[in-house]
Amino acid sequence: MGFQMQPYGIQSMLKEGHKHLSGLDEAVLKNIDACKQLSQITRTSLGPNGMNKMVINHLDKLFVTNDAATIVNELEVQHPAAKICVLAGKAQQEEIGDGANLTISFAGELLQNAEELIRMGLHPSEIIRGYSKGITKTIEILDELVEQGSDTMDVRNKNEVVSRMKSAVASKQFGQEDILCPLIADACIQVCPKNPTNFNVDNVRVAKLLGGGLHNCSIIRGMVLKNDAVGSIKKMEKAKIAVFAGGVDTSATETKGTVLIHNAEQLENYAKTEEAKVEELIKAVADSGAKVIVSGGAVGEMALHFCERYKLMVLKISSKFELRRFCRTTGAVALLKLSQPNPDELGYADSVSVQEVGGVRVTIVKNEEGGNSVSTVVLRGSTDSILDDLERAVDDGVNTYKAMCRDSRIVPGAAATEIELARRLKEFSFKETGLDQYAIAKFAESFEMVPKTLAENAGLNAIEIISSLYAEHAAGNTKVGIDLEEGICKDMSTMNIWDLYVTKYFALKYAADAACTVLRVDQIIMAKPAGGPKRDQPAGMDED
Amino acid sequence: MSLRVLNPNAEVLNKSAALHMTINAAKGLQDVLKTNLGPKGTIKMLVGGAGDIKLTKDGNTLLKEMQIQNPTAIMIARTAVAQDDASGDGTTSTVLFIGELMKQSERYIDEGMHPRVLVDGFDIAKRAILEFIEKFKTHVTVGETPDAEILKMVARTTLRTKLYESLADQLTDIVVNAVLCVRKPDEPIDLFMVEIMHMRHKFDVDTRLVEGLVLDHGSRHPDMKRRVENCHILTCNVSLEYEKSEVNAGFFYSNAEQREKMVAAERRQVDDRVRKIIELKNKVCSGNDNNFVVINQKGIDPPSLDLLARAGIVALRRAKRRNMERLVLACGGEAVNSVDDLTPDCLGWAGLVYEHVLGEEKYTFVENVKNPHSCTILIKGPNDHTIAQIKDAVRDGLRSVKNTIEDEAVILGAGAFEVAASQHLVNNVKKTVQGRAQLGVQAFADALLVVPKTLAENSGLDTQDVIIALTGEHDKGFIVGLNQHTGDPIDPLMEGIFDNYSVKRQIINSGPVIASQLLLVDEVIRAGRNMRKPS
Repeated sequence: MGFQMQPYGIQSMLKEGHKHLSGLDEAVLKNIDACKQLSQITRTSLGPNGMNKMVINHLDKLFVTNDAATIVNELEVQHPAAKICVLAGKAQQEEIGDGANLTISFAGELLQNAEELIRMGLHPSEIIRGYSKGITKTIEILDELVEQGSDTMDVRNKNEVVSRMKSAVASKQFGQEDILCPLIADACIQVCPKNPTNFNVDNVRVAKLLGGGLHNCSIIRGMVLKNDAVGSIKKMEKAKIAVFAGGVDTSATETKGTVLIHNAEQLENYAKTEEAKVEELIKAVADSGAKVIVSGGAVGEMALHFCERYKLMVLKISSKFELRRFCRTTGAVALLKLSQPNPDELGYADSVSVQEVGGVRVTIVKNEEGGNSVSTVVLRGSTDSILDDLERAVDDGVNTYKAMCRDSRIVPGAAATEIELARRLKEFSFKETGLDQYAIAKFAESFEMVPKTLAENAGLNAIEIISSLYAEHAAGNTKVGIDLEEGICKDMSTMNIWDLYVTKYFALKYAADAACTVLRVDQIIMAKPAGGPKRDQPAGMDED
Repeated sequence: MSLRVLNPNAEVLNKSAALHMTINAAKGLQDVLKTNLGPKGTIKMLVGGAGDIKLTKDGNTLLKEMQIQNPTAIMIARTAVAQDDASGDGTTSTVLFIGELMKQSERYIDEGMHPRVLVDGFDIAKRAILEFIEKFKTHVTVGETPDAEILKMVARTTLRTKLYESLADQLTDIVVNAVLCVRKPDEPIDLFMVEIMHMRHKFDVDTRLVEGLVLDHGSRHPDMKRRVENCHILTCNVSLEYEKSEVNAGFFYSNAEQREKMVAAERRQVDDRVRKIIELKNKVCSGNDNNFVVINQKGIDPPSLDLLARAGIVALRRAKRRNMERLVLACGGEAVNSVDDLTPDCLGWAGLVYEHVLGEEKYTFVENVKNPHSCTILIKGPNDHTIAQIKDAVRDGLRSVKNTIEDEAVILGAGAFEVAASQHLVNNVKKTVQGRAQLGVQAFADALLVVPKTLAENSGLDTQDVIIALTGEHDKGFIVGLNQHTGDPIDPLMEGIFDNYSVKRQIINSGPVIASQLLLVDEVIRAGRNMRKPS
């Protein structure tokens, strides 16, 4: 290939393997199409009656879930535009921890409607302008829809917490929210600090133990460590605890040390002094009143021997973070070296015991008066994937709690808010002049996706439901949503189904942002994919 | 051909073929970047080899990431990158201008004109424009306190070409305030003193200016406070960890007793240093509720952290070198390299130091400082490509403000300068030139119009109409630019659209040079083994 016959244009200037897409047909519409495909995958998982997806990732790990964040994460989306939607979903997951599905599905719906507008002849920039106006107005309306008096709530009131958490948990584990919610609420309330805004998600732990069933789930005020005690002492009540971050063993110098031994006598003596030293240390710990030693590193044989002798229970926690949490639970201060702890450096636990649950030995650390330390939700289930799914539901619940600690405002759930937004935004679009009114109207229409999908997933007639919802809302019953169990429209304030305002706020904003970003792109320049083993097309990208 | 005799594998393009290849490449590059120009330019999506996404409107970023291979295009791209290095903006304009110069020349060359004559014309035109720009520029008085309004206008003009409008307007204030913050009278502005930190969090509109510093790490000890007020800040570069000696050393001991002593002795040196810091803390903090923060460039090992934590000191280790400099500028005090002669004078002051945790990442904010000469632009955005986009824009915005202060002049924007310069060439300069070089001047004048033309094209307006309207107004003696929304002429002075003087000057300077070089190429030779790909 001589360069005599170089083609004109950009293609000739790029390295081999580059792809260049530009213009409406090649770039914009294809991007929209990709996002549409993505949202079609997640959409069927929306809401309590959403279907589960079975995803097998590149490591052959099986996921059965309807959690959109997990699905898109494991899908490893390649298409750049679809990736923007995925990133929006991830941002939502990081920010709130719930509502990723709404973000992705809504962004997909917005883009699908944008496609219709483009086919009508609107320029993407006009659509972007309309959509930006749409989202600003939406947020305004959303503000007005906030349930009166919900901005102040007692985050320690279990009923209030449960009512707000229910819809988030129900969308993951429908039918089991009545069991799960109180558990999660209890666990959260227990660790909620004096200033609720400082609530740390990390303080609610989840321990997944195979076996049993959902009804065996419980919460423990304290921690569940998934390993056995080191020594032979397996149970300790009302124990003071000394924590050593650096391991329980003889101390060593940074510089390499060599034992200098001249004769046999010294050899014997050396072992003795060593022993004496360790005994002295362990004795010091025992004298301080501690009954349990927790080590962050290795536990030496000799040290263990003396611990046994002084009736000290020894636990080993090798994860630094786990150790830190343990310190928070018990109120102990982690000491670096094995030495005598001060009384105020000791922690306390009501009971530390090793139990066998479902064939696994676990150490349960309980602390009834621990205050705002750590609590653990013990999940029981028959298979790993059920446990994983339960864990995701719990995570969502805990994240919702965190979100409500920061902003407790709520809006009616079960699509009542979406329909109201759609209705009001449509009215707003009629007042607008200029081409962007079409875009705003489409933006409003996109909200119908939520009730439609909810109804479809529940096997109801979507058109009928939507029209009756509109009718109710037009009549001024702004809190009417879908009752999925009975298949009729009901006032959500009587059903007690609420969504958090912040979840909606961020989900809609991220979705609109992502949609606008995708629309703004009119040229794509793709580098040759970097080397590496070729993978099969991830499952799920095929048409289903 | 003679070269084929010398090296049968070489490829040669000569005479018009070579010229057309270069012209085509220049035009091709122009086509790619054309849609970028101006506030209504569109966004390009770049997908890297690993599938990473980058969205950009910035010509410089685009040229850097595009991996261009064509030799002519590389030359132009390098000029544009040099443009960016020199003035921070105007890359797209440079590429467009060079492309257009080539395009205009093509017309004349096809009619049989020799490139050399055109090049002579370019040279005359260039000199004339450089004189003209001196007259045309709007002077800005930069005294003790520069006029923030005009700086904002310049920054806004730049930012709006990189980001969408509402975000650009918000960043304008941030950028201008940041530059004014680091500016010291009678000293060149060092933009490195503006730290640009990003957090993946919330929305792009949550980007803000922090008067103080944001560090992207936190204290490493669980017992250190997460939020402290009224802090003395010790900025130091002292190793607070045990370091192995250079020589290969070893301990010999014969019983555990001795070993314990060794362990203690080993630590003593480090502990002594820590103790000195604690002493200082006790000196300044006793009897009041002030706090003490140590920010160390070197490491602090766990035992030292533990000692500091017990003394109630918040310590950060392994701060970046550049941040040490900024810290001193932001908080006052001085960076110490040894703990031997610590005095309270070495300490800086901050009203508030707190830690912000985002998932796995920790950030430390040093805020409420007195009289800062360093600040941080904290960029927020929901995902990496948004952050990268804002980062590029902020960088350019800072440069534009800096340029304005240093140039003490601005140029009317929105295409007004280009039209005025073009008219100046046609009406005044051309007549003074003898012979065929006139055509070179004409080509130069036509090429200048590419900026308003492209602006109009990107806004979906009719280019010819716009040019006629603009030149008409200029002929009447009004200096006008293009209103992107309506296509009507506007007065950029009233609208507050200003470009950097140095940017425009650089474009006028470098564009014709590279175009001339390319026009004078009459043979392209590709030879040598590694140049050739197996066909």
